[in-house]
Amino acid sequence: MPKQLSVSTLQPMVKMLSDEQVQAIHYATLEILSQTGVEMQDPQGRELLLEAGAWESNSRIKIPENLVTDAIATAPSRIPMHDRLGNLTMPLELGKVFFGSGSDTTFTVDVKTGERRRATAQDVENFARLGDALDNIDFVMSMGNPSDVPPDDLYIHEFIRMLRGSTKPNVYTTKDRTDMEDIYRIAVAVAGSEQALREKPFFLLYAEPISPLLIPEESLQKLIFCAEKGVPAAYPPSTNTGAGGPITLAGSLALGNAECLVGLIISQLIRPGTPFLYGMNTAALDMKSTIVSYGSPEWPLGMMAQMDLARYYNLPAWSAAGASDSKVVDTQAGIEMTFSILTNFLARATLIHDVGYIEYGSTSSMEALVIADEIIRETRYFTGGLDINPNTLALDAIARIRPGGGFLADKHTLNNFRTSQWIPKMIDRKQYDDWTAAGSKDMFTRANERAREILDEHQVTPLSEAAEVVIAEILEERAA
Amino acid sequence: MQTDLYYGDRDAVETAICKAIDEGMSPKEILDNGLILGMEPVGRDFKAGDLFIPEVLLCARVIHAGIEVLRPLLEESGVPTRGKLVIVTMAGDLHDIDKNLMSMMCQGAGFEVIDLGIDVSPEKFIEAVLAEKADLVSMSALLTTTMPSMKATIDALVQAGLRDKVKVPIGGAPVTAKHTQDIGADSIAPDAGAAVEAAQNLIA
Repeated sequence: MPKQLSVSTLQPMVKMLSDEQVQAIHYATLEILSQTGVEMQDPQGRELLLEAGAWESNSRIKIPENLVTDAIATAPSRIPMHDRLGNLTMPLELGKVFFGSGSDTTFTVDVKTGERRRATAQDVENFARLGDALDNIDFVMSMGNPSDVPPDDLYIHEFIRMLRGSTKPNVYTTKDRTDMEDIYRIAVAVAGSEQALREKPFFLLYAEPISPLLIPEESLQKLIFCAEKGVPAAYPPSTNTGAGGPITLAGSLALGNAECLVGLIISQLIRPGTPFLYGMNTAALDMKSTIVSYGSPEWPLGMMAQMDLARYYNLPAWSAAGASDSKVVDTQAGIEMTFSILTNFLARATLIHDVGYIEYGSTSSMEALVIADEIIRETRYFTGGLDINPNTLALDAIARIRPGGGFLADKHTLNNFRTSQWIPKMIDRKQYDDWTAAGSKDMFTRANERAREILDEHQVTPLSEAAEVVIAEILEERAA
Repeated sequence: MQTDLYYGDRDAVETAICKAIDEGMSPKEILDNGLILGMEPVGRDFKAGDLFIPEVLLCARVIHAGIEVLRPLLEESGVPTRGKLVIVTMAGDLHDIDKNLMSMMCQGAGFEVIDLGIDVSPEKFIEAVLAEKADLVSMSALLTTTMPSMKATIDALVQAGLRDKVKVPIGGAPVTAKHTQDIGADSIAPDAGAAVEAAQNLIA
């Protein structure tokens, strides 16, 4: 028999929207931009848009389709995110999937005492170190708003602590343009030069408009700063259904898309080719409790749908998964984290944050992050699909075996079991007696022990002395 | 030899045994200090979760092959085997996989295993225990429905006057310590690895 074509592995991928649905949302977005318009509070942004061909009526800035088209044309289709040591670890490209922790919780659950308390700067660093050690966490984002630093310097401390705690790329938040300048100075010191930083960026700004339709000066100036410097930024609006967005996901997506595209247009007007991460947040405002739910099925529904929009624009995208509304790391948390991680993976969301949140994003949990790491590992295996080839079809072994005798001792089993089966790390499959002998530990207890073990043992390459000098300077300037 | 054994290199282990024989080591020494001792890290790492069943079985097969090389010499010098075990799948059951697993694990631990196959009647079983002068009668049940035949077998051993000549370890998912006591078995193990350990302890 001549050599035949191999049957390739089908790696399951889920689209949430049909091509026609994507276009319908796109057209709705163009309608919002050109007919409804946005309220642009930043004078520089207003000037930029008007000069480029937008117009103003009823104190709204209205944006024609060609600005959208031009911005999509000049925005890069990939953002090569590096670690802070200069290695390409997170090329943000469609089809690739990356996970990271989720940001700016007020509270954290103390891994040693179990107490829910205000987060501190040390917590941010500890969480970064935990994320650094976990194989399936690709980037870090601050797992707390530190309560023990001056409120005006909060985001600076977050950034410093993330850098100290991890070499992985980070996603950061800032208060204003002054914060941006200080963070940029630190980043340049870490990279060695402005040029090195632009070439191998390890930080990505997370700024957002105020949905619906309000573009504040403060947040747009952060985005403009990144565009001026040519460093990566995301500008995902929170068109959460029933709050910042209409109660229906379709409208929420159209509106979120419009606001996000305003950010994209501004970034490309300032500097064509500015690395811009597309995306939006479309979680649901719960109609009983008024929390924004991080466990609802609408959350991944919306995030998966916006991935179809991202593919339509050929832009990598922001997403979110691996969080929970539960107040503790319990069965509900397990269900909600798994549901959103699996669905986001199936949709090939590019940069997925919020991993390790509990209590609808108010509290960070080390146990949740450790468990999510295992869920991501399992999901990655599952989404890898089935290899169909002569070896996996095992015809020789099937022919060789004695009826009823089983394959356990066959050499085909020995040669293939490690790749043919997923081998858990945190999930327990012990026999009952072995499990009791090992202390009858539930998932939470095991995750807690693992987190503490990592904090005790994991070492991170420290920042250079030059970078620490700049950090000390900035903190001194801010104290003055 | 022990490293080769750990990595399941049958040829290397057989060669090492032949070399040890040529150098004048006694077969008992080779068995105890080479093969049996060599299985210890395998069992330890399996328990710790670093090795998996297919790898343990590979080592067990290598040990078995090694013992086969030694067998003529062992018999010649009258060295007793580690213990003799008759293994069957009980009457009414055609399932083979667990029995084969147990059989191989026991061989790997140095036991001599007489495998009578599947769907074996108690009479035939007792006959073999008698003929082979077995030290152990080990039984496992997968389903609750097979548990009564464990009791029937022990009763048959008592009737044949063999109960005090053999140790009876039992195991399997539905088997509890209370059941072990109720039917008059000697010990209980939840899985094949633990069963081998239990068998070793019973004849130690």
